[in-house]
Order: sequence, then structure tokens, then C-alpha cells
Amino acid sequence: MSFIKFDNVSFSYRDCKPVIKKAKFDICRGDFVALVGPNGSGKTTLGKLVMGILKADRGKIYIDGSDVKNMSLGQVGKKIGYLFQNPEVQIFALTVEEELSFAMRIKNIPDDTINDRVKKVLEYLGLSHQLHSPTYNLSYGEKQRLAIAGILVNEPDFIILDEPTTGLDVIRENMLIKILKSFLTRGIGLMVISHDIFFIKKFTGRILKIYGGEIFEQVSG
Amino acid sequence: MNRFLAKTDVRTKLAVVICLSGIAVFIQHIYVLGAILIITILCAVLSGVSLLKSIRSTKRLWYLFFAIVVIQSMFLRRGEAILSVRNFTILTSGGILMGMEFLLRVSIVLFSATIIVTSNYREIIQGLIQLKIPYDIAFMVSVAIRFLPLLHDEIKDALTAIQLRGIEINKIPFKKRLRVYSYIFMPVLSGAIRKAQTLSMAMETRAFRAYPVRTSYLVLKFSAKDYIIIVLSFIFTAAVFVSYYVFNFPGRVLCDYFQ
Amino acid sequence: MNPVEIKNLYFKYEDGENNILNGVNLNLGRSEIISVTGLSGCGKTTLCYCICGIIPHIYRGLIKGTVNIFGKPVKEMSFGLVSTRVGVVFQDYDMQLFSPTVEDEIAFGPENLCLGHDEIKRRVDTSLGLVNMEKYRFEHPENLSGGEKQLVAIASILSMEPDVLIFDESLSRLDEESRDRIKKTILLLKKSGKSIMLVDHGVENFGISDRIFFLEKGKLTEIDKQEKLEGLIELYKI
Repeated sequence: MSFIKFDNVSFSYRDCKPVIKKAKFDICRGDFVALVGPNGSGKTTLGKLVMGILKADRGKIYIDGSDVKNMSLGQVGKKIGYLFQNPEVQIFALTVEEELSFAMRIKNIPDDTINDRVKKVLEYLGLSHQLHSPTYNLSYGEKQRLAIAGILVNEPDFIILDEPTTGLDVIRENMLIKILKSFLTRGIGLMVISHDIFFIKKFTGRILKIYGGEIFEQVSG
Repeated sequence: MNRFLAKTDVRTKLAVVICLSGIAVFIQHIYVLGAILIITILCAVLSGVSLLKSIRSTKRLWYLFFAIVVIQSMFLRRGEAILSVRNFTILTSGGILMGMEFLLRVSIVLFSATIIVTSNYREIIQGLIQLKIPYDIAFMVSVAIRFLPLLHDEIKDALTAIQLRGIEINKIPFKKRLRVYSYIFMPVLSGAIRKAQTLSMAMETRAFRAYPVRTSYLVLKFSAKDYIIIVLSFIFTAAVFVSYYVFNFPGRVLCDYFQ
Repeated sequence: MNPVEIKNLYFKYEDGENNILNGVNLNLGRSEIISVTGLSGCGKTTLCYCICGIIPHIYRGLIKGTVNIFGKPVKEMSFGLVSTRVGVVFQDYDMQLFSPTVEDEIAFGPENLCLGHDEIKRRVDTSLGLVNMEKYRFEHPENLSGGEKQLVAIASILSMEPDVLIFDESLSRLDEESRDRIKKTILLLKKSGKSIMLVDHGVENFGISDRIFFLEKGKLTEIDKQEKLEGLIELYKI
């Protein structure tokens, strides 16, 4: 039973040549999938197609059995989290505490549950001491972890990360690898979009290569 | 014949647009406005503008204009009542007429803008500079042109990101929706500031504003076609004004008939 | 006289609490490529800014020590003059390019220097040739790939004809193929006499560097190239 299913999906930006040609693959719950390819090959586009940010020209995309075309961004967001390449795009509040709780408050989740989840997630990502800190004071690595925290607080089944190693030095990269591996242990599936082969090779899972709009599969050890 | 105007000097396009907009602003006759709108659309097509694309991308603006027209019609009461409830007149013929004129005027201005944008912004800046507009102002225009689509993208990305937090924006009450929109200020503003800083640093490290003047690699030169189009535009404009104000053609404002 | 001579450089930002640079010493010679590496936030970018004049002309702070470009202190040179000696290529290629065509982009710098039309043309042609992008002369930079955009950014700096080039994490966003292409270009520039400083937080640039430095706690330490990898791994474990 696949969690994400691409069935002969084709996509091109307006007036341009096709970026994705007849993509067909399945990703199961808890899978680790790396999407690799040169800059401009369509990796980010594919990620956006999965999330429903872009709509396919042809073919169908299914998330947990439902056609993405019929799902709103909010509905997709409940199942799959998306980490943008620049974490600052998805930091909305002035303090860390508000950042993690505002979405839940809008959804009318009770305060106790909110506080509980916020505490747990911050502890998990090593940001507990920043609970009341202003978001703009965080370092780049901390901002990325905050963005991940914002995703995690929704308890998604799957997370897509777009070029997560950009701007990270070796130490922060190792921290990220630890965090991502713990997600996999918890059964949260991951799709990492990256051109950084060394980073990808630290994980066990599938590698999907995108080249010329087509997807090729390769298994890593 | 198609795209005849596309490759003309940007200053020529500016002259054509000023003539057409000038007529639209000063002459308050619905037939004249209608004719000018048709001419403007024709010029836009000749400049290579895709009409459908322009209309589609300004869809929201059109809704706003339509709303303004309806509201304006309701507040301007002249001529015969067309729609009334009990003794209260809501729409009058004069009001609708004024509303239509507004709509025509605004359409002319919008389509005129599409004509200018067929030149790339380097040419627009150079055109302004060669028309003796100070470089600072011309440059601010170019930055705005460069930044507006970036700002638009930032807003779109922020809206996407916030919905991906599991917020189904179409299902929440209006007040909460406003709160959600207020949250996108932070990433959009900080993104815009960051981009502005990076851009300005990139420019200053290439000696931007290091000296009070600068030269230009791109030099715009008028061709015979440009001169002809400019002269014809001015003659046409003058003719319209003379015919309207001196010879009273095509006739006084229709509204007068309803007095 | 070395193109870049830094002696005992201390620097603290205006609103900063601590010194970012704590006594940096560095000499960069002609036809030389050096790598400066270190963890995020260690001050690599600040060091770049001090050399290319962004500090003190754009960002202010407390500076002690000297940064000399061909013997003249940077703080005594106008920003315009510094930009003809030192060029910087930033990480974000999208925000460095703002003109509608590649040619316009490369001409931007020389135009700011009030050069004549023929001189600008010569520089544009030379720069395009150096980065091998002639066939993209009239392209809109938005339509290019990341690597090509970065090459245009490099060309637009080259048209200023600087003797020193700084690459501030310019390769980190690129895939391997693009990175190799840029590294080849950098080697060509070295051959033509330019002094080049590559700033990064990784080890990818070490292959083409003549000397490697590690910036930590505001101080620069040279790493022996023979033991470079082991040494660095040890340092990163700190």
C-alpha cells in the first residue's frame, strides 16, 4: 500500500518544455527516498507536485489513497510536511512559542495539548531553551530546526525536505542527519531532495534520479 | 504586420501611450472612450501583447473595478431611474453611464501599461534616461519592476507555507482568516528586506553610485518608423481634441441630455 | 607587494557584543588560490567584507589593524576604487543578477565606472570569453541554470577587472557538474594572475587551493595541505 503514488505524471511550466515526463513511482509509509539530480532538473518541481503546490498536466498523484487534485493545501499539510530550502519562508511568528502554537490555536486544539506538543517537539530538536526567544535572533541552523519543529507539531506521516544541507556546516549537518534518522525510526517517511550525494549516502533507502524529466531508480546500501 | 510595434523604441511606445491616455483622461465622452479603447487594444496586439494573458493575470483587478463601477453608479444619480426599491432610486441611467466611462478609462490605462512592458526594463530605464529623467528616478522604477514579481512570489510562497501547516484556509471563519493572513507579514517582510540588502550589496560592490554620473552601453536610437509613429500619434491626438472641443464632435456628453 | 595584506585585524560589529575577528593575519599573493574554511558564524563572511570594502563602507563596526590592497588601506579607498581592485561573488546567484540580459548584467559595472562604449564592449567580450558563456549573451539570466547564473555573476565581476576575487560560499548551491565548471574557470583566472580567496564551510575547494586556512574564534590558522583532511576532521570534532 503506497503512501505517495505517481501515475504517469507529466508537468511543464507555462510555455516551456516539459519538466517532468510520465513519472511513475510509489513511496510507502516510513520509506526513505532521496531525489537527486542536477540543478534545474525538476527536483523541486517534483516535490511541489507531491504537495499539490503545483498541479500535474497529465497523470494522477495519490496521497494515502486520495487524489491530490481534490485535496486543499491544508489537507495535504496534515499528512505531509514540507521543509522549504530557505527556512525563513516558513517562520511566521515573533517568538518560538507562538511559532509552534499559532496553527494549532487556529484549529481550536485545546491549550493543554498545544503546550504538551510544543514542549515535546522543542526537546526533541534541542531547542527547549529557546521557547521564549524571538525567532529573528536564531542562527540559520536553529531556524531550520524551528521550521522542522513547526512541521513536526502537526504530527505528519511523511516529510519532504528541499535541499536541507544548503548553508549547513559539518556539525549542523550531522545534527540534521541524527534528527532525520530518528524520524525514520519513528516511522515518519522522508523524501530528501538534494544534489549532495555525500549527505544522501549517509541514509539507507531508495534513490530516485531525475534526469531529462524522467525518473530512474537506484538502490543505495 | 503582427508585432509591428513590438520592436519600436520604448520612447515611441511611451508617446503612443501618453497620447491615448491623455485623450482618455480629458475627454468624457463614452463613444470617444470606446473608440480609444479599441485603438489601445489594437496597439497592444501590434506590440505583441497576449490579451488573454494580460486579462487573466489582472483578473482580481477587474473584479475590483467592476465593484467600483457598481458602487459609483449607485452614488451618482442623474437621468432616469433604472432600478428603484419603493421610493429609493438605486441605479440611474446617468450613474451607469459614468460607471461605464470609468471602466473604459481604466481599461485604456491598463492596456497602455501592457504596451510599455513589452520592452525589457533595461530599455525602459534607458528610454527614461535619454528623455532626461534623472538616473535615480529611472533606477527606482527599474528596481520596482524587478521587485514586484519577487514580492508576488514571496507572498505566494508564504501563503502556501502557512496552509501546509494544516490550515485549511477556505474552511475557517473570516476573522481567523484575517489572522492567518497577518502571519504572512513576517516572512514576506523579512524576505523582502533580505533580498533588498543582498541586491544593494551586489550593486554597490560593482561601483553603483560610486560616481555622480554613469555611462550606458545600451543606446537607444530612433529609426524612421519611430519618428513617423510619434508624429502620427501627436497629430491624431490633436485632431481628437480639436474636433471635440472646437467642433463639438461627436457631440456633448450624453449625460447632458438627461438633465 | 602582495595584493592583499592583513595585519592583526580585529573587528566587532556596531551592535555586536564580541569581536568576530581576533587578530587575523593573512597575505594573499598573485596567481594564488587560498581556501578559508570554518564553521557557520565563525566570521568567514566578515573577513570577506573587510577585504572587499563592504566593511567599513556598508557595515560599520570597531576595526583595529590593517587591511591593505596593493599597499593601500581599504578604509582610505573609496568604495568605487576598492570595487575595481577586489571583486566578490556571493552565494545567492539569484539576487546578484538583476538585468534583463547577460550582456546588460556584465556591462553594469563598467557603466558605473563611467567608461566609454568601446571600453565597455571590450570588457564585456573579454569577460564572456573567460567564463565561456558567449552563446548566452542575449539570454535572460532567469532562464539559465544555477551554474550558468553563477558564471554570469563571475563575469559581471570580472568586467570590473579586479585583481583579487573572493568567492563567498559561491559554490555551495551548485551541483557537482556546475561546481567543476566553475573550479576550472577559477584555475584559468589564477593562471591569468588573479589572487583568489575561496570561502566555504566544507572541504570541496581544497583540491584547487594552494593554501588552506581555518578560521576559528576569530583567528586564522594555516592547515598543512598534506594532512589537510585529517587535520580538518580533528578540528571539526572540537
